[in-house]
Amino acid sequence: MLMPPFHLHHPSTIEEACELAAGFIEAKESFDWVAGGTDLLPNYKWHINVKQHVISLARVQGIDTISMHEIGAMARLGSIASSSDVHPLIAQAAGKVASSLIRNNATLGGNICLDTRCFWFNQSEDWRRSIDWCHKEDCGTGSDCRVIPNQNTLCVATYQGDVAPSLMVLEGLLHIIGPNGERQIPVEEFFQLDGITRNVLEEGEFILKVTFPEGVENRVGSYKKLRVRESWDFPEAGVAASWIEGDISSLRIASTALESIPRLHQQEIDKLDGGFSTDKILQLSNAMMKSIKPVNNTALPPRYRKSMVKVLAKRCLQEIIGDAE
Amino acid sequence: MAGGYRQQPGASSGETRKDGKRVAGKQKFPPPGSGGSRPNMGPRDLDSIPESVGGKEPQPAGSHIHDRYRTGTEVGKPRALVDSYAKVTGQAWYGDDVRLQNEIIGKILRSPYHYAKIKSIDTSKVEALPGVLAVATGADAPNTFGVLPVTKDEHAMAVEKVRHVGDLVACVAAVDEATAMEALNLFEIEWEVLDPVFDPRKGLEDQDEPIHWRGKYHVGTTNVQKRVFQEFGDRSLVADPTASSHGKWRMEGVHHGFTEPHAVVAHWDPNGRLQLYTPQQVPHYAHRALSTVLEVPMHQINVIRTFVGGGFGGKSDPFPHEMCAAILSRKAGRPVRITFSREEVYWINRGRHPSYIEVKMTADDEARISGFDIDALIDGGGFASFGHVTSYYNGVLATAPYELGSFHYTGARVWTNKPASGAMRGHGAVNTRCAVEVGLDEMAEQMQVDPIDLRLANLLPPHSRTISGFRITSNGMRQALERVREGSDWDKKFRQLPLGKGIGIGCGFFISGSGLPIHWDPNRFPHATVHIQIDMDGGVTVHTGAADIGQGSTTAVAQVVSEVLALPIEMIHVRSHESDTSPVDLGSYSSRVTFMNANAAIRAALDIREKLLNAAWEMLGYHPDVLVLNDRRIYYKHDPAVGVSYLEALHKAQEDKGSLISSGAYRSPPMGGVHKGAAAGLAPAYSFSAYVAEVDVDVETGLVSCTNVWAAHDCGKALNPLAVEGQIIGSCHMGLGQVLSEKMVYGRTGHLQNPNLLEYKIPSVHEMPHVTPIIIESSDPEGPFGAKEAGEGPLLPILPAVVNAVYDAIGVRIRTLPLSMDVVWKAISSKTRSLGGIEATELPSPRLEHSLLQQTLVERGTQHRERDRRRQRSEDTSAYVNGVLFGFDPDQPLEDQVEGWKSAVEPVPEQLAELGLAGKAWLKKEQRQMGGDK
Amino acid sequence: MGEEYVKMTPPAAHTIWSAVVNGQMKQAIAPSNAILLDVLRDEVGMLGVKRGCDLGTCGCCAVLIDGEPRLSCLCLAGQVQGQNITTVEGLAEGAHLAPIQTCFATHGGSQCGFCTPGFLMSAEALLTVNKNPSRNEISCAIEGNLCRCTGYQQIIDSIEAAAAIKRGEAPALAPASNPHPNPHPMGPEEPSMPPGHAR
Repeated sequence: MLMPPFHLHHPSTIEEACELAAGFIEAKESFDWVAGGTDLLPNYKWHINVKQHVISLARVQGIDTISMHEIGAMARLGSIASSSDVHPLIAQAAGKVASSLIRNNATLGGNICLDTRCFWFNQSEDWRRSIDWCHKEDCGTGSDCRVIPNQNTLCVATYQGDVAPSLMVLEGLLHIIGPNGERQIPVEEFFQLDGITRNVLEEGEFILKVTFPEGVENRVGSYKKLRVRESWDFPEAGVAASWIEGDISSLRIASTALESIPRLHQQEIDKLDGGFSTDKILQLSNAMMKSIKPVNNTALPPRYRKSMVKVLAKRCLQEIIGDAE
Repeated sequence: MAGGYRQQPGASSGETRKDGKRVAGKQKFPPPGSGGSRPNMGPRDLDSIPESVGGKEPQPAGSHIHDRYRTGTEVGKPRALVDSYAKVTGQAWYGDDVRLQNEIIGKILRSPYHYAKIKSIDTSKVEALPGVLAVATGADAPNTFGVLPVTKDEHAMAVEKVRHVGDLVACVAAVDEATAMEALNLFEIEWEVLDPVFDPRKGLEDQDEPIHWRGKYHVGTTNVQKRVFQEFGDRSLVADPTASSHGKWRMEGVHHGFTEPHAVVAHWDPNGRLQLYTPQQVPHYAHRALSTVLEVPMHQINVIRTFVGGGFGGKSDPFPHEMCAAILSRKAGRPVRITFSREEVYWINRGRHPSYIEVKMTADDEARISGFDIDALIDGGGFASFGHVTSYYNGVLATAPYELGSFHYTGARVWTNKPASGAMRGHGAVNTRCAVEVGLDEMAEQMQVDPIDLRLANLLPPHSRTISGFRITSNGMRQALERVREGSDWDKKFRQLPLGKGIGIGCGFFISGSGLPIHWDPNRFPHATVHIQIDMDGGVTVHTGAADIGQGSTTAVAQVVSEVLALPIEMIHVRSHESDTSPVDLGSYSSRVTFMNANAAIRAALDIREKLLNAAWEMLGYHPDVLVLNDRRIYYKHDPAVGVSYLEALHKAQEDKGSLISSGAYRSPPMGGVHKGAAAGLAPAYSFSAYVAEVDVDVETGLVSCTNVWAAHDCGKALNPLAVEGQIIGSCHMGLGQVLSEKMVYGRTGHLQNPNLLEYKIPSVHEMPHVTPIIIESSDPEGPFGAKEAGEGPLLPILPAVVNAVYDAIGVRIRTLPLSMDVVWKAISSKTRSLGGIEATELPSPRLEHSLLQQTLVERGTQHRERDRRRQRSEDTSAYVNGVLFGFDPDQPLEDQVEGWKSAVEPVPEQLAELGLAGKAWLKKEQRQMGGDK
Repeated sequence: MGEEYVKMTPPAAHTIWSAVVNGQMKQAIAPSNAILLDVLRDEVGMLGVKRGCDLGTCGCCAVLIDGEPRLSCLCLAGQVQGQNITTVEGLAEGAHLAPIQTCFATHGGSQCGFCTPGFLMSAEALLTVNKNPSRNEISCAIEGNLCRCTGYQQIIDSIEAAAAIKRGEAPALAPASNPHPNPHPMGPEEPSMPPGHAR
């Protein structure tokens, strides 16, 4: 499928990239960033949200670091998965993304910024025309959402990134840069509700890197992914958890692929009677299940995905904490 | 070898590199004409020559009429496909790889509506777009076509109305892809949207506007395209069953998922002939349809089959886009290339029918199968395609391999506003087979017997007739069952594995070529024809129309010619791409190519063989009966030194004549019953298979993984064991996809929600179990060297084997396909709830205590084993028809012996009330019975 | 108000794209937003690179970029400007087929052949870094490639066989294909001699 015309730009430094973006903002010309392209290009081939300009970060130097405490946005998932320098949880999560071929193109930054997905949306232009478009890409028609009909204010497309929950439970900090300078934000605060808004990136901003606090190497973690096939498939549900062995209070657990954003489930831990302890694995898993509300827009039905959160969380926790029962 | 001649200067040291490769330009070249690198005749490979003609190849299934033409050259040896070197170097040219000079790009405008009338199409804006060179609409090609002559209901582009989202409306050709895509947006069309039908059950009801109109044969005003009723046998046997199974199944539609999207290039050459390049399984039908639609005689069209990147039935219809390319090219005067996106592949579909299947079966007090009662409602989508045949296959292909007391089938295929279903690997047989085999498993459980023993004691023997009159010749069903039982260690595992682990059995039965071809005119036209031509250089050019779609038909033809003529396979050159040079072949469908085409090739090769032997006779003075063909030489049987080379004999044979040319043809013998629909499912031979599958079920998530499969398939004789094993393993993969993950998902708006390979879940390498292919050779008396099909039959058993294994693992029978994780989880959840809310991990595993019947079955199985052996080796030539097991006399017509023995193809009025879902189609009258056609 | 469809014309500005394809410097004039797959097939003429799904889920379009298997359908040509690209056409060494190519033919790794180029690239990349892969490692290396014909088993067999050749544990198979420099190994000029002795 041929992509619609756009202009591709290749800045070689961060500054140059920001300048390009600033220029387009000023000229009121639309643009996108592209890193590996494995998420953006399929959408472009389907004529979804095509912009006038695309700025490629491929030639920007120095943003592909891979280490325990810092991973650059342009680090490729394949390299992360096979690296012995990164936290094993990140390597595990990265290794579960799509297929080995896709991981060789895909980047960490791209995976974090993954567009939300929905089977009414990730379709060709002809297909979407035949359902008279949808809220997420309404082509100016003001169409309703096709998942939750009769409304066009909320987009419930699902965030199906694999790596984000692992970054959350390892206390990752995102470094964002744009024409207005650099800022930092914890991964769990990066995502913003609504499948269209998706995250806090302002126009012209992009992710530079993610860093982890000292001591992250002491964390033990696990990521469980539910998918139909062991290759290619986006998660239908995913849970990541980590803790510092023996330190109950350090437990962090997050889920993905269930709603428009991945979520850190600190609330569910806090709400447990007397806080989390090793005999409350099932309680916590149940609480997590109850807290999420998947909708019918991926391959598996929402009720099933919701129920599976309990199983995944339980398995995650049992793996890192051990079966206390 | 003389060293005096070198083709190019350089050291002739014969040096090789460490990795064993030759060094370019450094090796010795043999002088031309010296005899190549093998100047001596190779010894006869007695291991590949059958016992019956003095070789050492064992023949447990008896001798074969082709034995005396065996030379031990190629048959039965694992061989690389002859075209595989083109494929591994990237030189194989598929549809989109045909790039003609001055080509332009065609694109197709598709319907955005499920069902709508086209009131008008205004193309003026399209034509005005710079770069657009041709535009066409339905008005340009009003003639209908279709793969079956009885159901021609397709147009190149919609005439009057569109029938599903993605139906072709118009097409455009432009200088480049971008312009053509832009042009698609400029059509101005006035629509009148009609009420669509998506649910096949609704299709049985009368509609205001049926999707097609069949005139006086139209059933009421419904969307029923075809209805079938068949009843055979003694229905009274069904009363008082010892065991019974009643299963209602819902099977989703699945797609072939071939990796190459459709593509076509059309070019009207300077002489005004159409050259059409297309990856077709059945170029001949496309040829016929093109002629009809374009109103050009067939001889003015040359259909060039490109390499086919997978077909599985999905490239066997003549396609509207092929017509579109031809029309656009004719208008533009330039070659037009149309390549589909993956989504368009799903719009054209022709995949397996989404089905509602209901199977009732009963067994009597001796565990004989007293009745099958099958009802199949299949969702045909917007067009007929192969559906007429599918409607029959869903029933009649369940009449074997078991001996039945009675058989009752009602089937209906309805049109819906969805992409058309059609033929897919295992055409029509797969879904019913799954339902039947699972039913048997359930009956075995009720009777507390081993399901393999139940099957072994109820098999039809070789050389028998099924209840509906199919003629079974060779039959390796029993060996297949025995081999998988042994290979899988079944007796130590079945009903003995812990929760979450299961093992299951399934069998299969499939046609090896369709006895009645789709096009039987001109009268007595052969199913397959092969031409052989040998010029003075000795190279053998074989012309065949058989379409190699990756299954290796070209290799099979080359192998049999090589075998008969005792020439190395490198000397056989198969030409099969162009209809100009290929004799007509009916194409690669219904698993007919090896059987029919190789038979034709053998006949053609025998003609050449005779000419060569006669020439040698003249030269040597020995009668052909005492001459032996072996590796490029013909010699006196008792003294190999007395002989002539192949070339000498060839040149003698060519004296005053020039090239040796021969033609061989195959036409299946007359057979089968005379009732309506008797031809459906009729085949010159049938394949049999039995699989055992082992699965792991994650009881908490419902995820089923298949870990091991023992797959025994009776292919008569494996001409190329490597290719047969490839077919078996590949079939497992495709069947596993259908049983575990693949489905075409139609959402609440009737749209296909997953028209891409990400959401249409074809198993990846990680989902593949380890498959142990087991080849059973029952030596079919009419097959080429005894061979039967191996391409489709092996798909059937994997589905029921997995479903039965899942039951063995968790004790829950699921009758919804695919067994995706949510479906299994749901079934487990309701089971745990029904058991008082236990945890999934506490589910009881099914266990088996043999009943007394088990002993009866084992004894009968042992007797039948001996019966089958004698019949297979043709020592026992007594008549065997379905019914002997129930005590009937095979020498008298059954209807004379049993009161109420039936052979009916229409229901009697009192039956109407009790018909199943599809059977309800018989509640309506045809237009002609109501006195009109509206 | 947005437009109801995304306009395809006029095309993006054309630029000169260059890269080393199969060891040879290639240049093409292509739209700046061109996809590598399109450039390789339509401009450079490497038709061995196949388009199966166009969305990264079949692997038919895999090529080696600086030795690493990547999907050319999800790669902007501009992003690999100047890099080393190997397609299936570049696997053979001159007229000698690579072991992986021969083994795919002789072990049934290729049926319809459409996915074969992609599998060959994934396999070749694996064997370059790992000459003794386990069956599981092979599976992981080809997990991005879809094959509908073979059920993968004979593909894994083929890759194992090629690995054995690369390790020197099995003899290189004589390819019987067109690119073989030897005139026909068994030409039509056939023996006038019986085996062993002449009369």
